[in-house]
Amino acid sequence: MSQLKTAVTGTQKTRRRRFFSARDKVTLGFFIGVPTFLHIALVWFPAIATIMLSFTYWTGIRLEDIQWAGLANYENIFFNSPIFWDALRVNTIWLLWFFVIATPLGVLLAYQIDRQIRGHQFYQSAYYLPVVLSLAVTGIIWNFLLRPDGFVNGLLGLPIAEAISFFGDDRYNIWVIMIMASWRHIGYIMLLYLAGLKAVDASLREAASIDGATEWQTFLKVILGAMRPVNIIILVITIIESLRAFDMVYIIYGSSGGLPILGVLVYNNIAGEGASMKGAAYAVILFLLSIVPIIAYLNQQFKEDNN
Amino acid sequence: MSSIVRDKKRAHAQQIKDRFISVFIGIFALVWLFPIVWTLWSSLRPYSEIRAGGVFSPPQELGLFNYTNAIDRMDLPRYFANTALITIPAVFLILLFGSLIAFVVTRYSFKFNVAMLLLFTAGNLLPAQLVFIPVFKMYLAVGDLVGDRRFLYDSPLGVILIHVAFQMGFATFVLSSYMKTIPKEISESAMIDGASVFTHFFKVMLPLLRPALASLAVLMTTWIYNDFFWALVLMATDNKRPITSALGRLQGEFVTDYNLLAAGAMIAAVPTLLVFFILRKQFVSGLTLGSTKG
Amino acid sequence: MLNKIAGHEVDRRLLLKGAAAGGLGIAGATMLAGCAPSAAGPLSFGARTVDESPTKQLQGLVAAYTAKTGNEVAYNATESNAFQNNLSQYLQGTPDDCFQWMAGFRMQFFADQGLLVDLSDVWNEIGDQYNESYKIASTGSDGKQYFVPQSWYPWGLHFRKSMMAEIGLTPESINNWDDFMAALGELKGQGLIGLASADKGGWEAMGTFDILNARLNGYQFHVDLLAGREKWTDDRVKEVFRHWEMLLPYMNTNVLDLEWDGAMQLLLQKQAGFFFNGSWFGANFLEQSQEDYDDLWIVPWPEMNPDHGRDTIDAPIDGFCVAKNGANNAGGKDLAKFAGDMEGVQAMLDTGIPMTSANKGQDTSTYDAFQLQQLAVMNEAKYITQFLDRDTRPDFAGPIIGPAFQSWFKDPSSTNSILESLQSQWDALPALS
Repeated sequence: MSQLKTAVTGTQKTRRRRFFSARDKVTLGFFIGVPTFLHIALVWFPAIATIMLSFTYWTGIRLEDIQWAGLANYENIFFNSPIFWDALRVNTIWLLWFFVIATPLGVLLAYQIDRQIRGHQFYQSAYYLPVVLSLAVTGIIWNFLLRPDGFVNGLLGLPIAEAISFFGDDRYNIWVIMIMASWRHIGYIMLLYLAGLKAVDASLREAASIDGATEWQTFLKVILGAMRPVNIIILVITIIESLRAFDMVYIIYGSSGGLPILGVLVYNNIAGEGASMKGAAYAVILFLLSIVPIIAYLNQQFKEDNN
Repeated sequence: MSSIVRDKKRAHAQQIKDRFISVFIGIFALVWLFPIVWTLWSSLRPYSEIRAGGVFSPPQELGLFNYTNAIDRMDLPRYFANTALITIPAVFLILLFGSLIAFVVTRYSFKFNVAMLLLFTAGNLLPAQLVFIPVFKMYLAVGDLVGDRRFLYDSPLGVILIHVAFQMGFATFVLSSYMKTIPKEISESAMIDGASVFTHFFKVMLPLLRPALASLAVLMTTWIYNDFFWALVLMATDNKRPITSALGRLQGEFVTDYNLLAAGAMIAAVPTLLVFFILRKQFVSGLTLGSTKG
Repeated sequence: MLNKIAGHEVDRRLLLKGAAAGGLGIAGATMLAGCAPSAAGPLSFGARTVDESPTKQLQGLVAAYTAKTGNEVAYNATESNAFQNNLSQYLQGTPDDCFQWMAGFRMQFFADQGLLVDLSDVWNEIGDQYNESYKIASTGSDGKQYFVPQSWYPWGLHFRKSMMAEIGLTPESINNWDDFMAALGELKGQGLIGLASADKGGWEAMGTFDILNARLNGYQFHVDLLAGREKWTDDRVKEVFRHWEMLLPYMNTNVLDLEWDGAMQLLLQKQAGFFFNGSWFGANFLEQSQEDYDDLWIVPWPEMNPDHGRDTIDAPIDGFCVAKNGANNAGGKDLAKFAGDMEGVQAMLDTGIPMTSANKGQDTSTYDAFQLQQLAVMNEAKYITQFLDRDTRPDFAGPIIGPAFQSWFKDPSSTNSILESLQSQWDALPALS
């Protein structure tokens, strides 16, 4: 299984005339058409539909009931829903935490493991293990540790009635969730970065060490530079994961407002008995917030592909 | 000081640093694993003991009774079958479609190539909550058209299709990154030899994609297996749901016995853990992100 | 009881005197035996719970139905939160024919959307087995019935008799707020939690709000508030929160970390004196041990305002509906009728799980002491409400009131701003079509 790592990516873009037989055209049609159709039908079309629905009043049940609402749902959210701002605050903290703490740790971890320090195989498995678990299982596991009659409260010797309210108390709950999310996120980033590091030419590193650079310098100046495309990927994923979070919070809090986040707000307002298009508006806001990294990413891909 | 001595000193200092780093990371790795270990430990104890004596009470009974109880009550064969029914076709289709698109986009220079790539990878990043009401309505409408409301809604097919639609983007991205590292000469000689597009893909390119496909298969299986949201909202009947979506049910069912719930959660985690331990290498080895920049 | 929120002003009062007047023992079922042929064909039943005891009951019901009519019934159980959260999609998509649901606005809402089957003809046949009040509770906004009752339970102050005896308290003699506070103080002095409370699920605290509001301000104000005819910023509502705040020192400190079962554990493990909740958890106590169940008792929440006494109580009614989009409407109706009829009720009772049935035919002589006490608590009340999240708009109760109460627990001094926000969010709700 040789991986053909050519340093030569300069394609000759000589215009070769392709003669596609009719059969080829049909094949190409299917190759492109079927996946694209599915993707557009189930992702883009519904996304646009939801965006349009966010400007209506609707309980989601009978099509005849759709009424135009203009910006009413958005006004409702921005001016009348304190829980929105709470959720925004939480998602922002989530984003910053990931950005400043979790992702860099994942990157550093990947670098060390790639350098093949002692025990690196065990470490790679250990840190990646939480990623392999479903977020629902993760929620259950940490719930276990932090319940009123769980490990931590037991360690502190507190009876149920006086147990520290890790999930209910605003002073703790967000940090608890951050730790839980990082538990998974760090391993995930580590893995992605490892995949990218493999593609970095070993000669780069050798050149750096011959030049007398320390590991830290090598990392900062050589690796980070060479990994620019992967860096963008990591950043995009960091932002998306923090904004889109849902599963883990839902399994702990259900649809209650114990720790509001945008993902749960969307779900609460768009599913269930109290469904309204306010949920669609929340979804659109979530989308708009995510779009910045999406665009940055697309931009970078576009540039790269045009090279 | 000669440069050789200086380098040796630096290397030595680096070695010591490395050892510290290794130990530090090692300790943290153990901390990392602790929550799982604790849950495992709890699942071996009866909850009544915890209730009576607290979590640190000396264990009087240790055994797999929670597991047998959970297996009895969880109807595992059904839920695992549901999971397989959804996961396996989904992963297959994702890999297929992803490689098809990646193939067309990297091997042929069509004008729409970049646009396609952007379309798919952006679609992958959209939040799931954004789309699910229209998808739900569409599934019902298609069901009515076909005459069976359960054709897409409340059926594995519906969940499979939505997974495929969403994850195609990531597969496309990874595979196109990978394909860029395969020399163009191979494709060109195939085309000169008069291979049809079909043969070009299936006979020439596909075999070369094996490492990337293997990695992707492992990743996708884990992701789809672990999905919680889609099966929750697109399926109405609880006993058709895959096992991770059924965990919510477990929480409700075992509400007064947390250790039983721990056993249930561990059971649900077993397949991915197995895949992970057996196919550890594939997680990283076949993934290529970004292209080599000299 | 249920004032319609979309503007129809139907002021109905629910009088439940005489629920026990009789234990009529008339097995209405025998009269129906020879009636219309039952609908044929397989059908499906959706249960809203996966808990052990209720599941046994429901399976007993379904088994008896199949035995009687020969129709196969697929039993589909979903955990209650998941079921409730998904109900809208469930009913639009591929629902079971007959499913478990709740009375109140929550039922009327879906009836209005055309998702429930009209059960008026079922009521014509079995209606005499129920008090008028149940029929009213089962009626949609168009005057037709859409719901068949199964059981009810009161929300009251639960405690363990043995604990109270040991400490020397007599909850039955708590006559007013001051007595209650004194009792709580006594419990706290003994190092116990006075009032076990939970609100992690976002709904548990609504019961406390309901009773405080009804006690202080009366049934009519409570109903009007939930219908939007009174304002949340009213001083009377602030009074409610002022009293609620007085209870905080006697609660466990981690209210937002416990769901109802967590608070129940406090009572079960004798760490708390009182637990204000619906009596359904009696079954959980019974699962623990017969002793624990026998130790359980209930009294109404004390009087707080002599003008209103103890005239109101939350007593949610659970029951069955038939889904329009189900595959076998006739079968669903048939099962609903069976379930409402004494035959079905008996089948559920025969499983040995305690149930306070809505049916007049349930011989209250079969009630155990705890159930009789629940009945007594119910009978004392003149007005019955269904619980906040069943008595008001669903898009207000769950997404808005729930988190509002939770944020109140986080900061009890923020009452005014929370109430203002509740009012403005109510005002911003779109009209229901």
